[in-house]
Amino acid sequence: MKAGCSQLKPVVLVLIFNVCFYASYQVTELQVCELCGGTILNDTTVGKFCSSSAGRVDGRCCWTNDNTSDPEHIIGLDLSNCSLTHVEDLQAASRALMIDLSLNPIVNVSDSAFQGFTELNYMILPQDIFCPGGNTSWEKVEVKEGNRLCEGQKDTCNQTGQLSINCPENSLCAPYGPGFFECSCADNYHGYKCLREGEFPALQVFGPLGASTVVIAILLWVTQRRKAKSH
Amino acid sequence: MHGLHGCIAPNHNRSYLRTGLDCTPYKIIYRDSIIPTTSNYVLLHASRKTFSNVKVSISAQWTPSVQNVSLSPGETWEDNHLFADENQATLFLGALDSIFLFSYAVGLYLSGVIGDRVNLRYVLCVGLCGSAAVEFVFGTLTEWLHIYNIYLYCGLWVLNGLLQSAVWPCVVAVMGNWFGKTGRGFIFGLWSACASVGNILGAFLASSVLKYGYEYAFLVTSVVQFAGGVVVFFGLLTSPKETGLNPVETDTDSHRPLMSDEENEVEVEVYGRRYQSVQQPDEPLVEPPRAIGFCQAFCLPGVLPYSLAYACLKLVNYSFFFWLPFYLSNNYGWKEAEADRLSVWYDVGGIIGGTVQGLISDFMGKRAPVLAISLALAMGALVGYSNSPNDKVINAALLATTGFFIGGPSNMISSAISADLGRQEALRGSQEALATVTGIVDGTGSIGAAGGQYLVSLIESKLGWMCVFYFFVVMTGGSIVFITPLLFKEVRAMWRDRQALHRQL
Repeated sequence: MKAGCSQLKPVVLVLIFNVCFYASYQVTELQVCELCGGTILNDTTVGKFCSSSAGRVDGRCCWTNDNTSDPEHIIGLDLSNCSLTHVEDLQAASRALMIDLSLNPIVNVSDSAFQGFTELNYMILPQDIFCPGGNTSWEKVEVKEGNRLCEGQKDTCNQTGQLSINCPENSLCAPYGPGFFECSCADNYHGYKCLREGEFPALQVFGPLGASTVVIAILLWVTQRRKAKSH
Repeated sequence: MHGLHGCIAPNHNRSYLRTGLDCTPYKIIYRDSIIPTTSNYVLLHASRKTFSNVKVSISAQWTPSVQNVSLSPGETWEDNHLFADENQATLFLGALDSIFLFSYAVGLYLSGVIGDRVNLRYVLCVGLCGSAAVEFVFGTLTEWLHIYNIYLYCGLWVLNGLLQSAVWPCVVAVMGNWFGKTGRGFIFGLWSACASVGNILGAFLASSVLKYGYEYAFLVTSVVQFAGGVVVFFGLLTSPKETGLNPVETDTDSHRPLMSDEENEVEVEVYGRRYQSVQQPDEPLVEPPRAIGFCQAFCLPGVLPYSLAYACLKLVNYSFFFWLPFYLSNNYGWKEAEADRLSVWYDVGGIIGGTVQGLISDFMGKRAPVLAISLALAMGALVGYSNSPNDKVINAALLATTGFFIGGPSNMISSAISADLGRQEALRGSQEALATVTGIVDGTGSIGAAGGQYLVSLIESKLGWMCVFYFFVVMTGGSIVFITPLLFKEVRAMWRDRQALHRQL
């Protein structure tokens, strides 16, 4: 019965968590798309990409427009000429393939701004801003027409020549955006520090245990205590 | 008279013979009363060992991972900050050990007193189920709810020590009710090996579910322990009196106390007969036996010296329990799993030692000489073990030898001798002192053990492992010193017996 609670409790928690999380998620996605006015123009890089991949344009964002299996998400973000000075929270577009930040007076990009942008493959930045994660994180970095182009994100886990990234026991390295990696639990492992393996077989353990306890208790009661005199 | 004890078989045979006269299924009851009590103590030690075995997992759970670069995702690697690193967590776990032993010691003094006044079955049941519940909260519930708080842990462990302490004195009292003195040494020796069996069982239980998470190690042991409490509630007969059978006390032989002098013998016989008449099955009890006061119990002959001797001995014994795997992996560089497995040999030696020495003391009719010889040999074994070569087989053999000579006497004092002391004739049998005396002996021992955990870590860090072993040798010598008065008394009595026998011939 205790085990039953343990299975139920996380489910409820996850449910509550999801409700809250998705509610806030929707809001920030909209905020990113309306960070500044206007929509993506067809002749920009992101615009061309969006029409070629049959995306839906909404404000400054390009959304996927097809699958029913995958929830709709942002695949392209065009924030060029947006008067941005700081780039901090773009997490709503973390599945974007292409981001354009050109023609912005950017002074500061926070270190973790692009953490989790695993699919990001093409970035356009002002010339004086370095590619996130440094040049080693990209296949090709070039400066063209006053913009810095970062193309082809490299897998941080399989890099040679860099200090080797050792994920702790029971976890595997996985790319997590330009210059970032995450250690996700290996198959069958889960929990804090991936210390837990498999699911506890509650029924197999407590079923026989409970049954034998009841049987022994009844047996002993019948053979022993029934005869005891109450004082 | 004592010389004849050599030919008397352990008491249970005679109990069985007597059964024929009573026409009751004495044997069944007799056998079944051992099973609940025995399994209880096994379970208790198993759950105690669980805590020792999950220490690595627990300290991993309490700390963020120590890496040069921060690892993501944070909720997997960085979120828990109860302690900055594993060293601090280990220190806290050591402190928890001490807290547990101290509250256990305090509880032993109290619970013995309670056990002699309240129905032993209820006290046992509350102790087992309560401590199971506390362990469940400590290990499982805090993990499920992600509540990591030092003060909560300390409070729970104090409570656990108090509840667990209710079990041992009551278990000894129940066993004392069922067995006479002559068989006690062997039965108790065999039976207090439960501690060692529990350690081995606990290691097995914990290691088999540890991979699902340490909380499940706590869950399984606490549920098993709770089930044990339920079985006790339904199955345990605390004494033969409950079924209307003659209590063991009617056996005058079982009533012969440890420190008996010949002069008292007549009185004992007389008393024995009177007691028997009072305890006739169909007669209602005129007056329930009055329980002895705490200070009164302390002043009983033999209680103080044995308590002090046990304090020294339990210090050494528990230091082995807590520090042996650490010493083995620290000093010889062996892997922790190997060190854990090797440390089982100490328990094995303790089981054999407790049983064999209990048996010898039954045949001799005296306990102190056996204890003194075994302790003297233990000093030698400790010196030998401290010089053990870096070889697992030799080390295991030396470890088993040390366990034999230290664990044996330790088991004997905590069970057989406590039962002897609580039933000695100075009490005139009219007072229920068994649980109180057991509580005093074990409680004093636990205070010694609790202090020892701190001293060992202190000596180890300041002076090294060699000095820790010299400290053990000194402590073992100390326990010999404390039993010397009893030794002289018993040897003198034996000598007198021998002389008397010669004169008769």
